[in-house]
Amino acid sequence: MVTLVLDVVTTAAILFIVSAGLLIVFGVMKIINFAHAAFITVGAYAALVASRLGLPSVLAPALAFVIGGLIGAAAERVVVQWLYSRPLDAILATWGLSIVIGQLVTLAFGRGVQFVPAPISGTESILGEEYSMYRLLMVAAATVIAILFTCVLNGTRLGLSTRAVIMNETLAQSLGIDSSRVRLVTFGLGCGLAAIAGALITPLASVDPNMGLAWLISAFMLVMISGGSLLTLGLSSLVLGGLQVVVSTFVSPILGGLTIAVVAAVALRLRPEGFARA
Amino acid sequence: MRDLDANLPSVASRWLRGAPQWLLRVRWTTPAAIALVLAGPWLLDTYTLNILIRALFVAIVALTVDVLWGFSGTLTFGQSAFFGIGAYGLAIVFTQFGFGPWQVLLALGAAVGVAAAVAGFVGWLSFYPGSTPLYVSVISLVLPIVVVQLLYSGGAFTGSSSGLVGFETFDLSLEGWFLVAGFAMIAVLATTSIMVSSDAGRMLSAMRDNDERCTYLGINTSLIRIWLLVATGVAAALAGFGYVAFSGVAAPENAGFIFGTQLVIMVALGGRGSLAGAVVGAIVIEVASAYLSSSLPFIWELIVGVTFVVVIVVLPGGLFGIFRTFGSWLRGKHPRASGRDAAGIAIETRQEAVAIPDPDAVVVEVENVSKHFGSLSVLSDVSFTARRGELVSIVGPNGAGKTTLIRCLADGRERSEGQVRIGGRSIERLPPDQVVRLGLGRKFQAASVFETLRVADCLRIARSRRDKPSFLDVSSVLRLPPAARAVAESSGLAARLDEEARFLSHGLKQALELAMVLALEPQVLLLDEPTAGLTRVERQAFASVLRELVVRERLCVLIIEHDLDFVRQISSRILLLHQGQVALDGPVADVVNNPLIREIYTGNHQSKRAKDAPP
Amino acid sequence: MIPALELTNLTSGYGSSPVIQDISLQIAPGEILALVGKNGMGKTSLLKTILSFLPAWSGHVHLNGKDTTKTLPFRKRELGLAYAPQEKALFQDLSVRDNLRLGLAGDREFELSLVDVESWFPVLTSRLFQRAGTLSGGEQKMLIVARGLIARPRLFLLDEVTEGLQPSVVDRLADVLATTRHQRGTAMLIVEQHLPFALGLADRFAALKRGEIVESGPVEHNTAERIDEHMRL
Repeated sequence: MVTLVLDVVTTAAILFIVSAGLLIVFGVMKIINFAHAAFITVGAYAALVASRLGLPSVLAPALAFVIGGLIGAAAERVVVQWLYSRPLDAILATWGLSIVIGQLVTLAFGRGVQFVPAPISGTESILGEEYSMYRLLMVAAATVIAILFTCVLNGTRLGLSTRAVIMNETLAQSLGIDSSRVRLVTFGLGCGLAAIAGALITPLASVDPNMGLAWLISAFMLVMISGGSLLTLGLSSLVLGGLQVVVSTFVSPILGGLTIAVVAAVALRLRPEGFARA
Repeated sequence: MRDLDANLPSVASRWLRGAPQWLLRVRWTTPAAIALVLAGPWLLDTYTLNILIRALFVAIVALTVDVLWGFSGTLTFGQSAFFGIGAYGLAIVFTQFGFGPWQVLLALGAAVGVAAAVAGFVGWLSFYPGSTPLYVSVISLVLPIVVVQLLYSGGAFTGSSSGLVGFETFDLSLEGWFLVAGFAMIAVLATTSIMVSSDAGRMLSAMRDNDERCTYLGINTSLIRIWLLVATGVAAALAGFGYVAFSGVAAPENAGFIFGTQLVIMVALGGRGSLAGAVVGAIVIEVASAYLSSSLPFIWELIVGVTFVVVIVVLPGGLFGIFRTFGSWLRGKHPRASGRDAAGIAIETRQEAVAIPDPDAVVVEVENVSKHFGSLSVLSDVSFTARRGELVSIVGPNGAGKTTLIRCLADGRERSEGQVRIGGRSIERLPPDQVVRLGLGRKFQAASVFETLRVADCLRIARSRRDKPSFLDVSSVLRLPPAARAVAESSGLAARLDEEARFLSHGLKQALELAMVLALEPQVLLLDEPTAGLTRVERQAFASVLRELVVRERLCVLIIEHDLDFVRQISSRILLLHQGQVALDGPVADVVNNPLIREIYTGNHQSKRAKDAPP
Repeated sequence: MIPALELTNLTSGYGSSPVIQDISLQIAPGEILALVGKNGMGKTSLLKTILSFLPAWSGHVHLNGKDTTKTLPFRKRELGLAYAPQEKALFQDLSVRDNLRLGLAGDREFELSLVDVESWFPVLTSRLFQRAGTLSGGEQKMLIVARGLIARPRLFLLDEVTEGLQPSVVDRLADVLATTRHQRGTAMLIVEQHLPFALGLADRFAALKRGEIVESGPVEHNTAERIDEHMRL
C-alpha cells in the first residue's frame, strides 16, 4: 500500500516535470510543440555528456537547460514564429523539427542505448517499505520546478508581461509589450524545461535518440486537459498518473500505458476547454 | 490529377460523347498511369517492383489522408490505425483458420467491419458541434497508440511485438501483385478524384473553408465528417489488407503513430489538396527510403525532416502547389477553380411556386429570453414577436446585446432562459443546422462565404439541403429560388459564377452570402449589419432588394443596423435594445421621435442598472 | 509648434473595404480633440490605425513630428502614446496593482506614480490587490484611465470611457483629464458618444460619418446642436 502511494506520487511528479515545458509553450502561444520529445532527448544527452566530462551531477540539469533553451530559441526564430496563425501547421513543423533533432543526435552519438548513473542511488525506508531514493528526489524536483515557475510568472516583470500576453495580446502590445520577444523567451524556456526533464529522468531510464517520444503523448494529453494552468497540470498529473499506476498494478501494464491517453481523450470530449477553471 | 490535366482533345470527346459525364472528367493521367502499370513488370527489376508494390498500397492510405486533411481540413495522424486493422484482419484470420475462399471473405469482412466500427466511434468522439481541429488531431493521435498497445497485449493471437508472419496467403507472381496494387491505386485515385470534384464533393472544401457557414446552411457537418472518416477508414483498411496479403508480414509498426505521421509528411510534400500530389509524395518517399535508408541511413531521414519543415513553413501547398501556382501564372492572372469548365453554368428558377398559407403569420416569437455569462447579464427578459412581411430593425448602442439576441434566435443552445419559436415551432436546444430547418436564415456580419469555392458552388452548397447534389456529376445547371436568383442577377454575381469567392469585392461577397441564405428559402431572415462597408450605390440596391423580399416574398426580416437614414427607409418597425433589455418597440416614427432614444445614444440616459451599480 | 498627432490623408480598412477614408487632422501639444459620430462610423478603426493595429492603406501618422505609420504597435508607447480601449481594456484576472504596473515600462517609478493614482482615484489605491474583473464598471473605467495617465503620455487616446457610467463618475473622469492636461500638457483624442462630457473637455471637435470627417471646428456654445444630426441613432 505504501509502495502504491509512493508510486502514484513519484509518477505524478515525473509526469509533471515532463509536461511542464509543453504547458508553458501551449499556455502562451496556443500551439503544441511536437518537438518537445526531441528536447527531452537533448536534455538526456546533455546529462550524458556532463557525466562523461565528470561534471558534478547537480550541473547536468543546468547544462541541459542552457543547451535546450538555446536550441529552442533558435528554433522559434527560424521555424515556429511564422506559424502562430496556423496552429495545425505548427504541430507539423515542430514534428519535422523533432525528426531533424533526433537525426542530428543519432549522427553525433550513434543509435545505441546508453546509461547515465544516478547521482544518488539506493533506497530509503519509508513506513517500513524500501523505496528508490532517486524517485523520491523527483518529487522534490517537481516541487522546485513548480515553485520556481510560479515565482517567475508571478514575481517578475517578465512574468507579468508573459501573463499579459497570454490574457490579451492586443492590449499587451498597446501597453508597449513586445509580444514576439515574450514568445521567443517563452519557447526557449519551455524547451529548456523539457531538456531539464530529460536530464532528470535519464538515471531512471536509458538514453537513446527516441527516448523522448515515449513521453510525448502523455505530456501532450496532460497539457490539453489542464487547459494551460500549472496548478491543474499538477492535479491532472496526480489523478491520471495515479490511475495509470493503479491500472498497471492491478490490471495490466499495457493498459496502464493507455490510461492517460484514453481517459484524457474522453474527458476532453465531455469538457473541451480543459479543467483550468474547474 | 485534375491540376495537370489538359482538356481532352475534341476528337476524343466526340468519340466519348456517349459516356456518362463523370467518366469524361477522368483525364489523360489515368490512361497514362494504367499504361505505366502495364509496362512496369517489363521495365523494372525485382527489387524495385517489390518496393513499388508496397508503395502503391501506402499511396492508397496517403490518398485517404489527403481527402481528410487537404480537402476537409482534418489533420489526422490516425489513418495508420485503419491500415493496421486491415493488415491484422487478414493476418489473424489466415493464421487462425488457414487460407481459403471463406477465410478470405471473413478476413475482408473483419477488416472492413472493424475499421468501419472504429471509424464510427472515433468520428463520434471527434466531431460534435463545437469540437476544435486541435481536439480532432489529438484523438487521431491517440487512436494508433491504443491500437498498437492492444496489438502488443494480444499475445500469440496478434503476435505481440514481433507481429504475425508465416501464414499462407495469396499465391501470385510479383508481376501479378504489381498489377493488382497498381490498378487498386488507380481505381481509388480515379474514384476519389471524381467524387471530390463532384457537386457533393465540393462540400468537403466548403466545410474546410467555413464550417460555421455550412452549419447555418442547415448542413450537419459533424455527420458528414463522421461518414467521411468511415469511408476513408475502410479504404485505408483495404490498403492494409492488400499490403499484408502481398508481404506476408503484419507488424505493429503498420498501425503505429510514426507511420501515421509519415503519411502526413508524404501528403505535405506532395501537396495537400492535390490527389496526384499525395500519390507522388507517397511513392517517391517510399521508394527513396528503401534505396537510401541503407546507404545513407541517418542523412536520409535528416533530409526528409528538413524538407518537411521547409515545406510546411514556406510552401504549405507542397510540390503540386508549386506546379499549380506556376500553371496559373502561365495561364494568366486569374486562377480559376482548378480544371473545371469555366463557362456554361445556367441559372434555373425553381418553379414550384409554394403558396404561402398565411401571409401575415407570426413567425418569430421570443418570450422572456435572457443570456448570462456568469454573473454578467447580456440579455434580460427580452420578448417580442414578428410577422411575415415585417422588417424589424434592431438598434441600440454598442454592447446593448443586439448580436447576442440574433445568436439566441439562430442557435438553440445559446440562451440561458426563455423560449424562442420560429414558424410556430420551438427551437428548444437545437444546434443551428436544425434551427435552419425550421425556416430561419442567418447572414453574418462579416461576409461569410466559401473562399476557395466558385460562386456557383457556394450557391449549390447552399441549396444542398433541398436539392441533393450528385456524388459523380458536375451539374451545369444551378437551380435557385426566385429571391436568390434575383439577388444573384441584380448584384452581377450571375455573370461571375465561375470565379472563386475570394476574388470577389467586399460588396459582392455580401451579396453572395445573402443569395446563399435566400437559397434556403427561409421564412425568417436575420441580418447583422449587412450594409457595413458597402458603397452608397450598393446600399441603395440592397435597400430595394430587402423591400422586394418583404413585400413580394413575405419574408420576416430582422436586421441590426446603425444608420438611421437607412433604418427609416426600410423598416416597418424598430426595436431599441439598451443594456440587454427592450427599451422601445414600435413603428418607425414613434421610436425615432421618442426622446429616450437620444438620451440613450448621447449617454444622458441612466438605466436602472447603472444607478444601482456600486460607485 | 510640432503637433502631438498629425494625420495626413489616412485611409485604412478591413479586407477589401475601407473603413476610414482620407482623414487629415492635427492635435497640438496640450490640446483636446473630441471625435464624435454614431456607432460603426469608423472611430475605433481610426484609433487602431493610429496605433498601427490596422495597417494604413495610404497616408501618414506622425507622432510628435516622427512618421510612425509603419511603426509596430508595441513601439508606440515609447513615443509617448497611451491608449484607453473601449472593449477588453483590462486584464480581468490580474490585480489592480498589476494592471497599473503594466501602464509603465518598468517597475522603478511605480511606487511613486501610485501617489498620482491616489490623488486621481483614491478608490483604486484602496483596492490594489483586488482582481480587476471584480471592480464595478465605473472603477474599471477609472483604472483604464489611470493606467494610461501614469505613463505621462504626450498623447492619450480615449475610446468611449464614459460608456455606461453614472454622472458622478463621468464628472470625476472629466476633472482628472482636465487637470492632467493643465498640469502636464497632455494632448488627448477623445472618442465619445456622450456629448456633454466630450464637448465640456475638448477645444475642438471633428464629426466622423462613414469613415470621413464631415464637420470640424472649435467647440462653441452651439456645437452640441450643430453636430446633433450626426449623433442621432
